[in-house]
Amino acid sequence: MDSQAISDVLIKMIRRTVPELTDHPISRDDAMADLGVDSIERSEIIIATLETIGLEVPMVQLHGPKNIGELADRIHAKQTP
Amino acid sequence: MQKRVGIEAMNLYGGIASLDVLALCRHRGLDMPRFENLLMEEKTVALPYEDPVSFAVNAARPLIDQLSLEELARVEMVITCTESGIDFGKSLSTYLHPLLNLPSNCRLFEVKQACYSGTVGVQMAVNFLLGQTSPGAKVLVVTTDISRFALADPNAIQEWAYSEPSSGAGAVAMLLSDTPHIFAIDTGAYGNHAFEVMDTCRPGPDTEAGDADLSLMAYLDCCDGAFKDYARRVEGADFRKTFDYLSFHTPFGGMVRGAHRHLMRKLFKADPDEIDADFEHRLRPSLAYGKRMGNSAGGSLYVALAGTINTTPPLTDPVRIGLFSYGSGCCSEFFSGTVTPDGQKRLQNMNISGALERRYPLSIEQYEALLLGDQVVRFGTKDAKLDCDIIPEVWPQSADGKWLFLDAVEGYHRKYKWA
Repeated sequence: MDSQAISDVLIKMIRRTVPELTDHPISRDDAMADLGVDSIERSEIIIATLETIGLEVPMVQLHGPKNIGELADRIHAKQTP
Repeated sequence: MQKRVGIEAMNLYGGIASLDVLALCRHRGLDMPRFENLLMEEKTVALPYEDPVSFAVNAARPLIDQLSLEELARVEMVITCTESGIDFGKSLSTYLHPLLNLPSNCRLFEVKQACYSGTVGVQMAVNFLLGQTSPGAKVLVVTTDISRFALADPNAIQEWAYSEPSSGAGAVAMLLSDTPHIFAIDTGAYGNHAFEVMDTCRPGPDTEAGDADLSLMAYLDCCDGAFKDYARRVEGADFRKTFDYLSFHTPFGGMVRGAHRHLMRKLFKADPDEIDADFEHRLRPSLAYGKRMGNSAGGSLYVALAGTINTTPPLTDPVRIGLFSYGSGCCSEFFSGTVTPDGQKRLQNMNISGALERRYPLSIEQYEALLLGDQVVRFGTKDAKLDCDIIPEVWPQSADGKWLFLDAVEGYHRKYKWA
């Protein structure tokens, strides 16, 4: 799955986890914190995304990205053997 | 037959003053649209004349008072567990020793590993008891932690802003022995998960720094890893079926709920309704005291355990409780034990909720006045005299000479008094 497809999954999980954002435009340049997603919700979104794409990786290795696009890039990099 | 060891008696001390956490968040202008999901209500605030020693002694004294002279003579080790130490060399346990009239043939020391410290203390005690080097001995393990924030330093405020709402104060005293009336540890049933990470720390005596996201991620990784190690050691262990109840280290309730959800998804692909129902049944009781004290660090898991034992419906049979301990930096452990109907009655007799009820609810103005900190005894203070009237309404009215406070510091030596 390429980074664009991963960010699509992330955005879908953001909307599922925080229903208030259902109709809110969300792009790869957005940071989840700026959208009002709290730290617990952010972790749940990442866990649900990893489960969807079938990737097992320690959560701490996904710490650091500044926005959804960077996070998708990081997950994509972990996915590639 | 394997020897039974564990917690013979237990008490929790949650201070004399509390603060409404939602009011604090509003005052700080923190945007928390779904605050209720964080499962926080109040936090304990330590007064300037309270310190990790007074907290520890106030937790332990009711246990010591219940002992006969013969039993007291068998308290052969005191382990203080803390990240709020008051000296680099002298351990808090040396202060506890005379204040609790403990015997001189006693091993005194202190352990540190952030919020995992209480479990270090408990496991050291358990292994000393199982080792049978002194049959019949008792070990006093006391967790004691206080978060003190200082408004005086604007740079520090940025550092600790993230943790101010959740950081509380509290002490848990546990007497461990081969008569584990309250909680019998499942011998050999444990799992560890540890790795180096800079998630939260105390780089100075009065400040905390950290990254909430990274800490949450490390906690989740550890919960998963420690349970897997437990399951590797314990044949047939099943997260869903082996434990009647669960108690986790609780920085705040929302984090516990997140970790539980994570494990239930990962291990069983459980659906959200099942996860929520399971959380309500097996974990909700564990939040009873922590949601009122805030994160008490080294003792937080044991505050959760006390909540589980005391606030579940009256037990008719022994139940097994699964425990998850996590300390930043990081080290973690999943282990377990059992509590009987008698154990539940004994702990309920300590009237923990009554003591929390008696705390004085501070206003935001009173809290901020304390934060200015000109009354607080800073690390390394040589001489000081404490003002008991700083907020007169807070002073406990009916302690009957059984409540300890810090009176003065003379040549670095802390002097305490009973009120």
